[in-house]
Amino acid sequence: MTLELREVVVRRGAFRLAADLEVAADGVTVVFGPSGSGKSSLLATIAGLSRLEAGRLSLHGHVLEDARKAVRVPAHARGIGLVFQDARLFPHLTVRGNLEYAEHRRPAVRNAPIVIEIARRLEFEDLLDRPVRNLSGGERSRIALARAIVSAPELLLLDEPFAALDGRRRRDFLALLRELSNEQSLPMVVVTHSIDDAAELANDVIAMRDGRVIAFGAAAAVMSRPEFAGLLDRRDLGARVPADAVAGGAVEGVWVRADSVLLASERPRGISARHVWEGRIDAITREDARGVLVSLATEAGYILSRITPEALADLQLEQGKQAWAVVKAHAL
Amino acid sequence: MLTPDELQILSTSLGVAGRAVLFSLPVAIAFAWALSRPRFPGKSVVDTIAHLPLVLPPVLVGYLLLLGLGAQSPIGGWLKSSFGVQLAFTAEGAAIATAVMAFPLMVRAIRLSFEATDPGLFEAASVLRAGPWDRFWSMTLPLAWPGVLAGAVTAFAAGLGEFGAVITFASNVEGETQTLPLAINAALNTPGRDDVAFRLALISLAAAITGLVLAEMLQRWARRRLEA
Repeated sequence: MTLELREVVVRRGAFRLAADLEVAADGVTVVFGPSGSGKSSLLATIAGLSRLEAGRLSLHGHVLEDARKAVRVPAHARGIGLVFQDARLFPHLTVRGNLEYAEHRRPAVRNAPIVIEIARRLEFEDLLDRPVRNLSGGERSRIALARAIVSAPELLLLDEPFAALDGRRRRDFLALLRELSNEQSLPMVVVTHSIDDAAELANDVIAMRDGRVIAFGAAAAVMSRPEFAGLLDRRDLGARVPADAVAGGAVEGVWVRADSVLLASERPRGISARHVWEGRIDAITREDARGVLVSLATEAGYILSRITPEALADLQLEQGKQAWAVVKAHAL
Repeated sequence: MLTPDELQILSTSLGVAGRAVLFSLPVAIAFAWALSRPRFPGKSVVDTIAHLPLVLPPVLVGYLLLLGLGAQSPIGGWLKSSFGVQLAFTAEGAAIATAVMAFPLMVRAIRLSFEATDPGLFEAASVLRAGPWDRFWSMTLPLAWPGVLAGAVTAFAAGLGEFGAVITFASNVEGETQTLPLAINAALNTPGRDDVAFRLALISLAAAITGLVLAEMLQRWARRRLEA
């Protein structure tokens, strides 16, 4: 399923979104960028909640909106689901009523889990007959996700679905999203500003800044681009390592922060760290008086390490020389 | 407690006000919904029509109704010959006059309720495949209906006291169109019936206060519901 936006322009008040992209939209596509970069606007545009000022939007070759030809499929006829950041549960219905609202409007030809099944799966079976007020943030997120799944869309958009979750719940939710996407063959587009979530979920990435799409495509390619690094905080700088390199289970990849990587000029021995990658130094970048970024080309891909200028001098690291990157398993 | 005459007057009043609410409610919902939309051509015209009864003298409203729906008018004549329905000087006529006068109050309450609804909920409904008509029935009305009810109760309470338009269009017919204010007026104009007027005034006051308290309670309930 290809999602295509051609020279799209959308205006919401003073904010202007410009997008020109094409992604496979199989599995999970992550929309990544700092707050205010237009991620939510992009989702609203795809869902049909914002009108195109210019450009064309199509899904799977089917034109949903074309500003020039005045074609516009309304949101309710697009078959695109959207889980809002604030859940937006209907206050006049119970939890079950919210799910049934979606179920009753789903086309008969589309298969989807029944209400009780999904409630059990997302662990809110005991809440089904409760009114939606007084639910916790995490409960609201799960119910909003369930409601969208029950509606059986062809594409599901999720706006910061983890915002109300933390710690273990967040990781569970992340894993659940991937499972649901696989089981229901439901492509998802997920907005996040967390680099860890992005690395773990994404097959594809759309990177955004200041209302513009600055890069899109396969996660491994986009996340190693220099303009992608420009979206990150200093302490978040790092590299995406594919999951198979770290035996990562249900995730696609892992974000390895430069601050959690040690460098060794000889093969390290007798240490507790579980991940040791051998490679060649690809680039050395001086950040400031305190830090130097060293990029190492390894079989797991590029690894970034931040060391002090003193360490660089002591180890006599130079471009092209052999070196070892060391990462604690628990730092991943 | 109440004399048979007083009961008769009270029941005429309740019947007229009740029918007035029934007549105007669907129209008021349509107007309120239209006025709660962001902008559309002719909005100010609709707004003016909805508020006109508020500024027109009630006697003028009654007179306009006589001109438009009286037995001599084309519509009144057609109603009479086709359905045998006469509006002027009947309880139905009193209800229509009351409906017109209470209309702005009702539109206002319902409109506020529509406008207090979070527009994000309608977006959420539309991405669950609910079209505009579906959203009106499944979201707009259920979310606003405590406000709709409050508007209806306020209009009902105000309708109990409508005088000028009723007496002009429906006249003062005992047992048919003689509502509380009309009866009070008649009693005041008859020497030696001051005590009758006073008792009727108390009944009228009690009915109005009950209506307002009820409307206030419904409105508070509506707010709680929409804040959830």
